Amino acid sequence: MSRDALLDIVVRNGAVLVLLLIVLAFGVLTPGFLVPESLGNVVKQASFIGIAAVGMVFVLLTAGIDLSVGSVMYLAPLVAGLLMREAGVDVGVALLACVATGAALGAVNALLIVGLRVIPFIVTLATLFVFRGFGTWLSQSQAVDFPDAVRGFGLGAVLGVPLPILVFALVALLAHVVLRHTAFGRQVTAFGNDPLAARKAGLPVRRIEAAVYVISGASAALAGFVLIAQIGRLDAGFGEGREFDVIAAAVLGGASLFGGVGGAGSAVLGALIIQTVKAGLVFSGVNLYLQPLLQGGVILLAVFLDGLRQSRLRLLRRRVIRPRA
Amino acid sequence: MTPLLRFESLGKDWFGVPALRDLTLDVPEGAVLGVIGENGAGKSTLMNMIGGVTPPSQGRMLWRGEPYAPLSAADAKARGIAFIHQELNLFTNLSVAENLFLDAFPRRRGLLRPLIDRRAMREAARAVLGRLNLDLSPEREVGTLSPGERQLVEIARALHRDAALLILDEPTTSLTPRETERLFAALDGLRAEGRTVIYISHILGDVRRLASRVAVLRDGRLVGEGAVEEFDVPRMIRTMIGRDLAQVYPTRSAPPRAAPVLEVAHLSAPGTVEDVSLTVREGEILGLFGLMGSGRSELARLLMGLDPASRGEVRLGGRPLLGGPRARVRQGLAFVTENRREEGLMMDASIRDNLTLPALERFRRGLALDREALADTAQALREAVRLKAQDLGRQPVRALSGGNQQKVVIGKWLPTAPRLLILDEPTRGVDVGARSEIYAICDRLAADGAGLLVISSELDELMGLCDRILVMSRGEVVAAFDREEFEERRIVAAAFRQAEDAAPGAAA
Amino acid sequence: MTALAAPSRPPRPSPLARALLSDWFVLWLSVLLFVGLLPVLPTLGTPANLANLLSNAWPLLVVALGQTFVMTIGGIDLSQGAVIGLTSTLGAALAATAADPDVLSKAPIWGVLIGEQGGILAGQVAAAILATLIAAALVGLVNGALVAWLDMPPFMVTLVSLITVGAFAIWLTQSENIRNLPDAYIRLGQGEIVSIYIGPKDEPQIPRRQVHDLVTWAAVIAVSAAVLLHLLLERTAFGRQVVAVGANRRAAEIAGVPVRRVIVLVFVLSALCAALGAVLYSARLEAGRPTLGEGTFLLDVIGATVIGGTSLFGGKGKVLWTVFGVLFFVLLGNTLNLMNLSTFHIDMVKGGVILLAALLDVGRTRLQRRLG
Repeated sequence: MSRDALLDIVVRNGAVLVLLLIVLAFGVLTPGFLVPESLGNVVKQASFIGIAAVGMVFVLLTAGIDLSVGSVMYLAPLVAGLLMREAGVDVGVALLACVATGAALGAVNALLIVGLRVIPFIVTLATLFVFRGFGTWLSQSQAVDFPDAVRGFGLGAVLGVPLPILVFALVALLAHVVLRHTAFGRQVTAFGNDPLAARKAGLPVRRIEAAVYVISGASAALAGFVLIAQIGRLDAGFGEGREFDVIAAAVLGGASLFGGVGGAGSAVLGALIIQTVKAGLVFSGVNLYLQPLLQGGVILLAVFLDGLRQSRLRLLRRRVIRPRA
Repeated sequence: MTPLLRFESLGKDWFGVPALRDLTLDVPEGAVLGVIGENGAGKSTLMNMIGGVTPPSQGRMLWRGEPYAPLSAADAKARGIAFIHQELNLFTNLSVAENLFLDAFPRRRGLLRPLIDRRAMREAARAVLGRLNLDLSPEREVGTLSPGERQLVEIARALHRDAALLILDEPTTSLTPRETERLFAALDGLRAEGRTVIYISHILGDVRRLASRVAVLRDGRLVGEGAVEEFDVPRMIRTMIGRDLAQVYPTRSAPPRAAPVLEVAHLSAPGTVEDVSLTVREGEILGLFGLMGSGRSELARLLMGLDPASRGEVRLGGRPLLGGPRARVRQGLAFVTENRREEGLMMDASIRDNLTLPALERFRRGLALDREALADTAQALREAVRLKAQDLGRQPVRALSGGNQQKVVIGKWLPTAPRLLILDEPTRGVDVGARSEIYAICDRLAADGAGLLVISSELDELMGLCDRILVMSRGEVVAAFDREEFEERRIVAAAFRQAEDAAPGAAA
Repeated sequence: MTALAAPSRPPRPSPLARALLSDWFVLWLSVLLFVGLLPVLPTLGTPANLANLLSNAWPLLVVALGQTFVMTIGGIDLSQGAVIGLTSTLGAALAATAADPDVLSKAPIWGVLIGEQGGILAGQVAAAILATLIAAALVGLVNGALVAWLDMPPFMVTLVSLITVGAFAIWLTQSENIRNLPDAYIRLGQGEIVSIYIGPKDEPQIPRRQVHDLVTWAAVIAVSAAVLLHLLLERTAFGRQVVAVGANRRAAEIAGVPVRRVIVLVFVLSALCAALGAVLYSARLEAGRPTLGEGTFLLDVIGATVIGGTSLFGGKGKVLWTVFGVLFFVLLGNTLNLMNLSTFHIDMVKGGVILLAALLDVGRTRLQRRLG
């Protein structure tokens, strides 16, 4: 097999290979890690990041970025929690309210990015602070306790499958269907590949760009709710710094920062990888403070591979005037 | 019968300079109109007007007898016009079928309405591809297709939209001979269906084969038109060229010297340049002529170290030329690219900053820059290139006219005393006055012993300026002419690969 | 052929446009803010408050200067926060005059860089600072190399550095702070050179004399850094090359500018500035903290730089602008503090200001293009 072809395979399926490698590595280094129980735990904990990563994939497909998800994860469930506490709404309504709030926050991002044409990085960096600030003002920096009904929801299981995993699977499936089998999904993918061509082709580019941020906000809100439902309590610092995990998961799973590449599978794979690494590190007793370091290394690898893939793509796109007959 | 498209005194000005003038032409329904002309004759301007990309400045267009004034590309599309550009607008990460139906996917029924009906899409795609005899799976990702296949998919897209008029701009540049044949078969099929085609191409033989009518543009005007039978290739060429020279070229101050300054041997880069060998002597101005897509700019980029070569050797002043642009600039190379906005200038920076950029390091005095020397040099350069600008230190280069901008691009190299200066389309977008000044600069540089490699699509410019002219086509050097042998018809013919009288000039 | 003739004479700029594009715009903004809020917040103008304000400004200025260079080449350096934490920790660890084993014995640096008698360079402030500068330079080197050679997007590269270097700093001390800094070190952050005494002149033994440090070592360091970097940017070949790379990287490359080298050096410079800022910060805190520079610090640095006028798009940057930007941001934070808003409110306002700064940037760029 030519070197080019081999490189191609590595770059295309990098994510799966990395996951396998990591699972193997930990399985060898720390026996007891590969038991179904601990692996099941990993999947459950991965759901939280994974749900948010699904939304992030949409944003990354358009070559954008959403740094505010960590704050949305806090603010949206906060609104839901307050509604439950003050207005006594039940779990279902609270969940809806949470997702709706997330979507609304995403819409704020969308307005600034698409309407005022400020670059996504700066907008979402600013809203990262603004949303959290608003949230801590709402909660007066106090933790908010969620009623027991919510915990029942969060810790529940259907047919033996823990709820978080179920929600994750559903969200991923929905995203997969949308991205692969609806016009909108295909157009989002096309837009990331070539925004100029997308405009020339008459696609509703502004709507597409705006929609992905709304989706990201909604999925981050859902992710936050699912996790808090397990804990039962929303602390003031919840979600801080998590945006990085979410982005890392999406990129590790195969989505590209440059747009046009990635799918629901990226979110799933990436979340699994990140969580496996985290759990594996904890399990093998690595120094607590060394863990973020190693995680950073893994993410750096992912970003590096993404850059490599992008340069290869650029090379292939160059104009050819002497075709090989 | 009303023609499909009619132009009445159509004209287009860019900032007061006419790109197209007084064009009156009919495009009959069902015809295949071949539009030919040299670079800059006005072909793209005309197509952009038809395609709704830019509005006309004078005159009007009629579609089937009705006034036609599209405000956008979408308007043109709605009329049934499919414009297939040289740069394809396909999405490489989507499948063929998805590309075809991107703005109009077939949907499933009932509750599943949001979902794409993949089966229907596949079948419809296969049907469309079949009309072009394209044996491709509709599920294939466009990124995996060859340029030829992509070209045909783009045409399929136009077909599927039931376009009444297809405009193809240089479609065969990236095609293999087999793919070209397939394209032609497809176009024949379209013609049989009664569709109208406008075919723009430099390959005159292809135009003869495909077209039913021919239109020749020159300097923004229609200079010839008629049935294809009336136009044999020599007549095509004759009609395309043959303008009266209004330029003033300097009489060369000094003859070229004997010593070579640039020696290129068997330079190749897969997909662009093939086995190019040439020599430029000190004090010589070598011209590189060719049509768009002949590989000249690609060659320049290879020489400058911006792109990697796979084979061959380049020597400057006897020493091998290696490394990236910085190393080559150090050795004495200089490059004036063909797009000054993207690669030649810092648009928002001052004129002085632009003029002094390549030679910055020579103005070091200890740790700091000698600002006075910088300012003086900028002034001196202003005089050397006859720059029309007021405040060199404050005015951004963006505020200058095209001609003056180009002078800045060229002028900035003067302090580095380059041994070889490569100029790619140095007078594009430059007014006549500035042009002769630029030619004078070239002459002076050559007289001082530098070698110049001038790439241009304007033959009379090269004929007026150069000591020798090389002709490139499809990445190869196909002919060479010494000054005594300069004859417009023969050089153009060589560029079109129509070697009527064989025997190109002496060894390159 | 599209032959472009000379564009018509550019429109005369309106007074508003001229004001917006002026170098002193942000200074005026700061003055307006000050004057406008003074009647509402009388404590704003007290010497105590002003001295406090200035002492906040100096470290921020030093760090923002580095960020200015990175933004001028069209990039961004998010890792400055982590570099501050790392260098604060390292510097303190090396120079500490004593250490408590109960606190630090579990840390990886125990026995290697620091022991009960203090750090291996105990008391030698200059050497310790030098060591931290080298460490910072290494971080900048890696950042720059990844951006220059592998073409990776600066924000992603520095985001990863931010996390990894920050984690590294925390790991080094197992999240503990390092105290017992030598006096010389502390004086760098706090020591006064010129101070004024306010109070009745002939009252002996005033229980609390009001001492206001106007010219501190920190001020001297910050101002010198600003002057040096101004000269670097405006008067050296390197500085002009930095602007060129930001204005048009391809044109700079073709013109023979050592683009990759410039990029790497800029990131190294940014890290060095962060390190210097860390020295000033830790000296004020009298401790080395691995978490120094975390949180909204990033917001302050980027906000101050952008609102000053350095463009996110690259090609435009001036030390003077950043000086005004820092002044504005510190003043803003100060007034918000005095208004007794919670930290979170302040963060919200700052976030809003960043957005405004970005909008201003877009607006200024467009205006400049139109006026030519």
